[in-house]
Amino acid sequence: MSLISVKDIRKVYRVDKEKVVALNRINLEIDAGEICCILGTSGSGKSTLLNIMAGLEKPSRGAVMIGKVDIVKLNEKQLAQFRQKNIGFIFQSYNLMPTMTAVENVAMPLMFKGVLKRIRVREAKRMLKAVGLGSRMLHKPTQMSGGQQQRVGIARAFVAHPKIVFADEPTGNLDSKTTREVMEMIVGIAREHKETLILVTHDRDIARYADRIVHLVDGNIVSDEPNQSIMASTEAAPPQPAASEIEQNVDMTADRLA
Amino acid sequence: MRLRDMIVMSLSNLWKRKIRTLLTVTGVVIGTCAIVVMISLGLGMQKTMQDSLAQMGDLTIISIYSYGNVTAEPLDDEMLETFRQLKYVQAVTPSYTPENWGSFTIKSGKYEFSGQITGVNFDALRLMGYEMEEGQMPDSTTGYTDMVVFGSRAGFDFYNPKKGWTNSDTPNVDVMNDKLELVINKTEETSKKAPTHKLTATGVMVEDWSRNPSPYGVFMDVNYLRSLEQEYKKLNGIKEDKEKVFSYNNVYVKVDDMKHVAEVEEQIKAHGFETSSMETIRKPLEDQARQQQMIFGGLGAISLLVAALGITNTMIMSIYERTREIGVMKVLGCVVGDIRAMFLMEAGGIGLLGGIIGVGVSYGISFLINSLGSGGGGDTGSIWGPGGMSIGGLSIIPWWLVLGALIFATLIGLISGFSPANRAVKISALTAIKQE
Ligand SMILES: Nc1ncnc2c1ncn2[C@@H]1O[C@H](COP(=O)(O)OP(=O)(O)O)[C@@H](O)[C@H]1O
Ligand SMILES: [Mg+2]
Repeated sequence: MSLISVKDIRKVYRVDKEKVVALNRINLEIDAGEICCILGTSGSGKSTLLNIMAGLEKPSRGAVMIGKVDIVKLNEKQLAQFRQKNIGFIFQSYNLMPTMTAVENVAMPLMFKGVLKRIRVREAKRMLKAVGLGSRMLHKPTQMSGGQQQRVGIARAFVAHPKIVFADEPTGNLDSKTTREVMEMIVGIAREHKETLILVTHDRDIARYADRIVHLVDGNIVSDEPNQSIMASTEAAPPQPAASEIEQNVDMTADRLA
Repeated sequence: MRLRDMIVMSLSNLWKRKIRTLLTVTGVVIGTCAIVVMISLGLGMQKTMQDSLAQMGDLTIISIYSYGNVTAEPLDDEMLETFRQLKYVQAVTPSYTPENWGSFTIKSGKYEFSGQITGVNFDALRLMGYEMEEGQMPDSTTGYTDMVVFGSRAGFDFYNPKKGWTNSDTPNVDVMNDKLELVINKTEETSKKAPTHKLTATGVMVEDWSRNPSPYGVFMDVNYLRSLEQEYKKLNGIKEDKEKVFSYNNVYVKVDDMKHVAEVEEQIKAHGFETSSMETIRKPLEDQARQQQMIFGGLGAISLLVAALGITNTMIMSIYERTREIGVMKVLGCVVGDIRAMFLMEAGGIGLLGGIIGVGVSYGISFLINSLGSGGGGDTGSIWGPGGMSIGGLSIIPWWLVLGALIFATLIGLISGFSPANRAVKISALTAIKQE
């Protein structure tokens, strides 16, 4: 059984008297541990689909099963608790708390879960080291570059070991070199933790990092296939920078929290 | 989320916006100070008033007058008994003086006393708390006939009629030990000797001018005095007016507690008598004090209302600024109840902080008022103002006022924060994170 199954999702926005069909009739099955990219041009409905899968938005019709739960039917409080346990987020514009340090930002999802301060700070530090920010623990977002801020965002998304991490254009605000570093980091950690990653992008180059690419055009899935570049040539697999360091740290974290 | 974390988050949010927090808190401080100081002054005023009234006289005694009032029923022994039966009444005594001045003279050797002789009920006087400098009041064991009690200056009031008034440092008569004799005076010179009665002084009263009837002159049992008066009238051939009904001019009623005075007074007035008590002085004073307190309290309430608007405004601004943060928190799994709780804690925190500082400042102001008010005499700890009235405690802050102020200030904060907090809860996570 797949981890996420999107069934007959339709989303219609009403602007004044005009109907905008953002998603037409989406059916999608995603397995646990899969790294799935939703690719499409701007306005094709990628974000809408991601938000519905994350329970941030209700569809006009259809169901989203995560495990055995139809999250469309959950109320606001249940959804918040569901996200605490199962979902991590990486945003295009980082969305870090401007007045908090890196550690505090990363520890926040654990705080919402009610984890003791001592433990959550320890986990946050471990996670920050894993994304290579060991020397920036007490920096505020404004004291960091975009790439560093997004790495704090990545640490925050993974710190609570969610089953699924959603990333909506995570490199949209970054230059190409930083984009590569950040993408490798996200995919690397997701693979290490065997976590499911749903990646939304308009960029084919970024889609290369995924196992599977779902192509969205005007609210319809036009193609859904395994990543050719990975399938075709093993040597084209994304290089793993700092991977050894990340692996170790992440494994330890995983063991502690397990 | 843990309570501790929510508190820390709320406090750090306040701390991050120090200036604004400070300004908002200042509003609450001013409001709290206004209310606390005003109430403390009101309490001080009330206490000062009660103290000075207590010095002026017994607050639980009602005086009744019958003269000149045609609608009144006779103020006789039967009526006194009616009063005695009233609820809350502890004792009733007439204050009776003979109709004809100079009916009697008290002699002791060559000295004479021709001052006022008052007929009372000694048992009632005892219940009214009269104190004795020497001896005791007559009671049922001593009997009442032939017994007298002297006011504190009685010994000096005896004079030698052959020499006239002389000032001396020692009383002319030791009333407790010297022989005393009451002479029933004759209006015309006859050869018949004026009748006399041997008198025994059972005691001397402590001087206390605040008491009614005032303890000066000589006191006798009212019935004994009236029988002596009959004897005087018979001796001098004075005919009783058959039409005239007997009525005491003046009666005193002792009530068990100050708070029942008004009620008892009302019942006595219903019989057509004029009455007076400290209640008639106290009531308007108290009403006036209450009115002032209401005005002061109202001013305080207005300043707190302004402070409340300040808190609401600050919270709404803070929520506008943090819309995105709130959205992110929701996306990251913060339940709405926790968000509401944090905002309420922030608002309540402003209130509580303002309340704490306000109470502190109020103590300072209260101390200043009190030290300025009583510092004139120079002596520290002097509580006597120039008028002999106690002005210690111009401003009193009891513990319940402190507690009340803190709770009230916090409540104001919570109420002010209620609608902003709900606004924060309603922020859509999605629109909040979408806005760039
Ligand atoms: N809140 C909204 N109200 C009205 N229309 C919306 C809203 N959100 C998205 N849409 C419309 O839905 C379509 C899909 O939007 P979106 O999912 O954001 O696309 P993408 O993320 O692929 O760029 C667009 O045509 C957009 O205009
Ligand atoms: Mg989008």
